[in-house]
Amino acid sequence: MGHGRYIAPPEARYVVGAGESLELTFSVMPGESKDIDISVDLAGEGASFDLKGFYILGGEEKVNIRVLVHHKAPGCRCSQTVNGVAGGSSQVRFDGRIIVAPGADGTDAAQTNRNVLISDSARVETTPQLEIYADDVKCSHGATVGKLNEEELFYMRSRGIPDREAKVLQLVSFLSPAVSGEDGIAAVEDALRRIMV
Amino acid sequence: MQDILLNIKGLHASAGEKEILKGVDLEIRRGEVHAIMGPNGAGKSTLSAVLSGKPDYAVTAGSVTFAGEDLLAMSPEQRSWAGLFLSFQYPVEIPGVTISAFMKAALAARRKAAGLGELSASEFITLMKEKMAFVGMDPSFSKRPVNVGFSGGEKKRAEIFQMAMLDPVLSILDETDSGLDVDALKVVADGVNAMRSPDKATIIITHYRKLLEYVRPDRVHVLKAGRIVCSGGEELADVIENEGFDKF
Repeated sequence: MGHGRYIAPPEARYVVGAGESLELTFSVMPGESKDIDISVDLAGEGASFDLKGFYILGGEEKVNIRVLVHHKAPGCRCSQTVNGVAGGSSQVRFDGRIIVAPGADGTDAAQTNRNVLISDSARVETTPQLEIYADDVKCSHGATVGKLNEEELFYMRSRGIPDREAKVLQLVSFLSPAVSGEDGIAAVEDALRRIMV
Repeated sequence: MQDILLNIKGLHASAGEKEILKGVDLEIRRGEVHAIMGPNGAGKSTLSAVLSGKPDYAVTAGSVTFAGEDLLAMSPEQRSWAGLFLSFQYPVEIPGVTISAFMKAALAARRKAAGLGELSASEFITLMKEKMAFVGMDPSFSKRPVNVGFSGGEKKRAEIFQMAMLDPVLSILDETDSGLDVDALKVVADGVNAMRSPDKATIIITHYRKLLEYVRPDRVHVLKAGRIVCSGGEELADVIENEGFDKF
């Protein structure tokens, strides 16, 4: 496997060898219910994995995301950024797991899953987990479930930006670290407008 | 065109259970600059928040008309479209949204409300450059997220820049002068003075007389315990500076 970016199929198993890198992206758009199961073995020294994924839900979608990254060799790195907006009565479950095997020294792993709930009946359950069996590793993980920032919204509205557009602007900026490319951002804006009606 | 731009009558407002404004009366004519001074907790910021439509406050009595329209019935964005601008005491940071994108969205919405088409990209950039130069902001700021990592002075400068971009009919400056050095104070003053015109008006909310040396007000009011307790000409600012608010 060489360098390149792939769109993850719902179920994906990858083995990344020494010096190789893998980039994956996924997206879940309004109306889609998906089970996404990604498993990556960083099997050779210096292997690298980047994941960007986002979801934008505004109805009755059910989304399950599992990401397992297994650091099996020394000096491997991974970075995972998964952000989502949940509205309507959508349900999201995110299980992120990073395992650092014995001997995988010098591991550099980061995982974040951030969520904004835009309705009272949407549900997000997020469980990031780290299992570390090696020394000299740098690992971080973080998960948040929050709401729209009212202060920012009022500031924007006071400048004449309509409520709905202000929310879209704020959520685009929230999702953008998990979105790749200009095309991606345009699609995100469009999807947010659809669920913000 | 109606001579009275803003007419506040018997305005009562609360934050939660607490009544803060207890019957404010104020009339502002086009062409005038009014200063509202008062001690901490007098209700100055509540007044500006209520006028701009901040959701955290409830108006319990009274009325406000703006250019003859019922201001209190309008949403915050409608108030902006009607020509009201509030310079925030604490400008809000918006990570991920550049000043350029922010102003583009604001201008587009306002022009749409006025039945005008969007500015072309080059017209917009020209306007931004002109207004940034006017307040002495480096053009590189246009690509920075709104207020993120700005110094106190840069934030206030950015507020005046936004004011110049939106060209409001009524500008309310909520303690825009607090914490500013003389250079930044002059930027604010130049901004306000340049916007002075026979059909516009400005409200300056402040603790200090300093800004009023650069922007000379037509009227000065003392707001205390939720009411305007004294009004006068600019000499009133001198009295306050020398004797404080206790005498009112």
